[in-house]
Amino acid sequence: MGEHKLSAEDVRQLYNRHGPALVAYASTFVTDGAAAEDVVHQVFLRLLSAEVAMPDLPVAYVYRSVRNAALNARKRGLRNAPLDPERSVFEHRGGNKEAALALQKTLAELPEEQREAVVMRMWSGLTLEEVAAATAVPLNTAASRYRYALEKLREKLQPYRRK
Amino acid sequence: MASHDDEFEKYLAEFEPRRPRTLPNQLVPKTIWTRRLAAAAAVTLALGASLWFARSKSGSSGGDIVAVKTIAVPGRRPIAEDLPVAALTQMALKDPEQLDARLTELSRKVLPDFRRSDSTLRVLAQQ
Repeated sequence: MGEHKLSAEDVRQLYNRHGPALVAYASTFVTDGAAAEDVVHQVFLRLLSAEVAMPDLPVAYVYRSVRNAALNARKRGLRNAPLDPERSVFEHRGGNKEAALALQKTLAELPEEQREAVVMRMWSGLTLEEVAAATAVPLNTAASRYRYALEKLREKLQPYRRK
Repeated sequence: MASHDDEFEKYLAEFEPRRPRTLPNQLVPKTIWTRRLAAAAAVTLALGASLWFARSKSGSSGGDIVAVKTIAVPGRRPIAEDLPVAALTQMALKDPEQLDARLTELSRKVLPDFRRSDSTLRVLAQQ
């Protein structure tokens, strides 16, 4: 797999497309929305400063980087605050804040690989093939992880769903 | 099962993650910062060294201002008046021998004549 450097425009496009999903992903490690946003910002600023040789699949790289940065932030214990119902990283179109908070909490409880699969698929808009490539697993594995994640989310979010 | 998932996916799609703040438009590459820092360090070092040097010099002279007075010898014109640089340069180009003679003549006026019987050099030599 070759490596290349992304232009500033490429980085911005990557940020615009995956930034929100990455914040959601980071928030499953650090809980605090502001800290999650800082983590994502920090990763992209490093990309912009052209210090990083990018692998062929940039989205996989940014997910790895955000995960590592979020874990480091968690280790440092920075702003690992309890979830604030007013500041969930998710917004529900119908304004259901409790459901948004429950979603963030449930995501954080999922095994890491399931969490990654569902965030990539649902909020980064990747196909299951792309999720498989980004996480370097066979398609079947990626599909199973995604399905397991959906099952757990469905179960936990059932009480918040509108009938 | 698939339709079950589709339905739940639609529900999940009702949730949108918060959009993070925008990236800054311009980022100064790290290498430029390193260069700027190096330049700033060099300037600071040079300033510091010259300040230290100036202080240590003024310290050795007790910090007093030393005024050097030149004593004008009455009746003697400043040497620069007898030796205009432009004229000397022209002379050097046209006639080097004349320049030599002119400089010898001028040096006799300016420097002490050691050939005189009472010149300092002769007295010292005799002693």
